[in-house]
Amino acid sequence: MAVIQLESVVKSFGSVKAVNDLSFEVDGGEITGFLGANGAGKTTSIKMLLGFIRPDSGRVLVKGRDPRLAATRRLIGFMPETAHYYPYLKVHELLNLYGGLCGMSKAEIAARSGELIVKVGLTGAENRQLKTFSKGMLQRVGIAQALLHDPAVYILDEPFTGLDPLARIQFRDLLLAEKKAGKTILFSSHELSEAELICDKVVILKEGRAVWSGTTADVAGDGTQNLERVFLRMLGVAQEEEAL
Amino acid sequence: MKIALCQIRALIKLSLLELYRRKDIVVVLILGAVLLLPLSFVTPFGMSGAGIYFNEIALVMVWLFSILIALGVSSRIFPHEFEKRTIYALLAKPASRGVILIGRYLGALAAAVSALCIFYAAYILLCGFKQGVWFSEVLLQAFVLHVGLMAVIVAIGIAGSLIMTSSANVTLTLLVVFGMLFFGGRLPALAADQSAFAKIILYTANVLAPHVEFFDLRQRLVHEWSAVSWLVCAAAMAYAALYSAAALFLADFFLRRKRF
Repeated sequence: MAVIQLESVVKSFGSVKAVNDLSFEVDGGEITGFLGANGAGKTTSIKMLLGFIRPDSGRVLVKGRDPRLAATRRLIGFMPETAHYYPYLKVHELLNLYGGLCGMSKAEIAARSGELIVKVGLTGAENRQLKTFSKGMLQRVGIAQALLHDPAVYILDEPFTGLDPLARIQFRDLLLAEKKAGKTILFSSHELSEAELICDKVVILKEGRAVWSGTTADVAGDGTQNLERVFLRMLGVAQEEEAL
Repeated sequence: MKIALCQIRALIKLSLLELYRRKDIVVVLILGAVLLLPLSFVTPFGMSGAGIYFNEIALVMVWLFSILIALGVSSRIFPHEFEKRTIYALLAKPASRGVILIGRYLGALAAAVSALCIFYAAYILLCGFKQGVWFSEVLLQAFVLHVGLMAVIVAIGIAGSLIMTSSANVTLTLLVVFGMLFFGGRLPALAADQSAFAKIILYTANVLAPHVEFFDLRQRLVHEWSAVSWLVCAAAMAYAALYSAAALFLADFFLRRKRF
């Protein structure tokens, strides 16, 4: 059953069509990679999925509900593209804030944040203010806050950016564990290798449209060897290279 | 409702931590010291026991500092959220924009009132040691009404920050607040002698601008006049609540239409 649905979604900013008749679905318990070059419409689509902006036309649904409703966002864990959090807060204070906004009790937040701090590898840093954190550490904080209220759906915007190789492996394992637990995950990325490693399904965007979507098995059966080739072909880069 | 309260509490805590961690509290303490120390040693115009002058200068400082702190805290909340992009993680949580607005408003108000408590503590110490007056009913009323004034200024600061740049917001709000403090009570009398067009403008200003003078009991404190009726205080606080609610309603309108 589709957990995330975009049906003929159009979103323009002035004369620029950021998303143009975009349709795709993400089924429950799947990891879906949302790929595209810069300006393809990934972040705009994610903003609509989180209810930050409304589409000009078409429908955006998460578990059959409008994401602009607070009750729908309770089902979503979101990690923003760039890790911007309140620099003067400590990790546990930030998690307390976000836990409070999710309506969690103090005991629930304490238990869950203790578990997540270990999971994302921030043990020993929980009492430091975020302004002293490296980019990679802030990404880990971002992961922890997205997972905090144990949502059913994860929407992650460029989650692998800034992570060192070890953290990437840990995060990959974490996502696979969440998938095993029945969570639905949609992440946008430029990291084709990561997408190929963990995704069940891939959607490639170009100029606001889904130009290719399929399973990672489809990638192999496509006659091309990897996702990178499919991606370049869909973006029209491969032909240009061959022509050169 | 319980969840909304939990969300608001989390946001209030954020503002108080902000006040403490961003060293704003140090500014407040320095201002408190500025208020307390020089005045405690000075003898105005060479007259000993001229408590009236101490009172007047100290209260002007309390008013000035508290307005600056309230406006400084409130006018930067949302611009900082947008500029630092912390707004995305906040909006992605299951809290409505209205709850986020109320939480941030109450947080800024709590921060402003915390600073106000420090200023009043400094003022009470000054009056206590200099004049031997530690408490009076007027002082309590002045403090309560000052809290009402903070509520209005914080609401205006937040609403303005959603449609103007920070500097424009602070400048305009200061002009309105001090303009109303000096001329607010005289607007209807001033309007009476003007042309029809100027009358309309002045009467409109009289209705729309915050009547800051409603919260001003400085003269009563300085001249040790009797306390006003608590009913009058309650009416002024009701005005503060209504004015703040109207400003927040506008802020909510702007925030809902904000494109992220």
